[in-house]
Amino acid sequence: MVFIRIKAMINAGRQICIGNREAFCLTAQGLMSDSLCRNLYKGSIMDEPSAFSDYSHEQLVILVARNKDRHAFHHLFDYFAPRIKSYLLNFNISDQKAEDLTQEVMITLWQKADKFDPQKARISTWLFRVARNKYIDKVRQQKYPEVNADDHIASMIAPEKTDQNLKEQQDQGRIKMAMAALNDEQRKVIELSFFKELSHSQIAAETNLPLGTVKSRIRMAFQALREELGDYR
Amino acid sequence: MKTHGIIPDEWIVSYASGALSEAHALVVATHCHFHPALQQKLIDAENIGALLMESRPPVKVSSHMFDDIISKIDDLPNEVKQPSNDNGLPFPLAEYLNHKSLDQLNWRMMGPGLSQVRLWTGPNDERLWLLKAKGGAKIPSHDHSGLELTLVLQGSYHVGKDQYGPGLLEIADDETKNHTPLIDAGEDCICLVVTEAPIKIHSLLGRLAQPFIGL
Repeated sequence: MVFIRIKAMINAGRQICIGNREAFCLTAQGLMSDSLCRNLYKGSIMDEPSAFSDYSHEQLVILVARNKDRHAFHHLFDYFAPRIKSYLLNFNISDQKAEDLTQEVMITLWQKADKFDPQKARISTWLFRVARNKYIDKVRQQKYPEVNADDHIASMIAPEKTDQNLKEQQDQGRIKMAMAALNDEQRKVIELSFFKELSHSQIAAETNLPLGTVKSRIRMAFQALREELGDYR
Repeated sequence: MKTHGIIPDEWIVSYASGALSEAHALVVATHCHFHPALQQKLIDAENIGALLMESRPPVKVSSHMFDDIISKIDDLPNEVKQPSNDNGLPFPLAEYLNHKSLDQLNWRMMGPGLSQVRLWTGPNDERLWLLKAKGGAKIPSHDHSGLELTLVLQGSYHVGKDQYGPGLLEIADDETKNHTPLIDAGEDCICLVVTEAPIKIHSLLGRLAQPFIGL
């Protein structure tokens, strides 16, 4: 019912704008549950942190961006910081260094939350990019130029998203299944790429394979993963 | 399977995973800027990276990390201002050059009709260049002893029957012998180039000149 109302507002045209709040609901069309909208109106969400379990990570980032909401930020921290640190520890850095970098990634999220557009990217992809680049910047001491400033394709709109929490759990299941569906050889080159940041020639040296074989395995693994995760955007 | 002038998927995966050097990352990002289909592939590859990150077993973070962050964000300045891209270059390159225009760079003559700017030197003799060649110029015939990526930003050139124009990328490696790019007549051809090891120029004159021009 409520969803239909929001849809109707959207369909009625983007010009409908009753102050910033209404525009916000329209901007995040389909992402925003009615209770979240109401809570935003009242500003009361600060008082009920337990309510956050109903919201997707993307919705929480919007709360951080709009309201500088520290409870929402804490919720994101609890989920992402232990995983970002776990990812960084793959690169054989000290626990302290991984802590420092994780902290910087989360501070970047706080600072740049308003640059994040849930229509164009998932927050975990955005954080992955920040974590990867921080590691390269601080440990390898190189720059890692990006295609666009904040999110990659300005003109591309992701399909409308519904039931975010369920979808996130399904996505996690899907990457595990997609990885499991690769053969051992393909999984190996993907893991050496993403978890060790090895180049093609480093992978060739590590696995004693010809360079051409490494490249074709990465290509085939990527193709298989893309097919498996196809409509996942 | 191989598409002329478009980087193969294994490079997209390496970019997304963070495995590329600064110079290779810049060339790949700038190349992707020209091709929306590559940008979508890159997002797909980064989504895979993100899902892999999320599926890592969570590890303990120190109990005071969140409070440390909160005390730091209180002191942060409000707005991080992004410079605007006003020099007409693809975003990744514009940002890499600190939004200077190509004319503002320190071009060095390498020979008749040929000049260069060296942007970066990395481990293993890896070098990042901008090269500018006059329309109609012939680059001395040479072999490669490492990987060379050439991305055309302006103008065009031929190698054999393959033409490389703006946004197209040529990959040459050890297998590439007698590499003799021919710059097409017309406007200057400007390329972003990464070399891994000094190229081997065939002609005596070229070999004599090589130490001075720095290729």
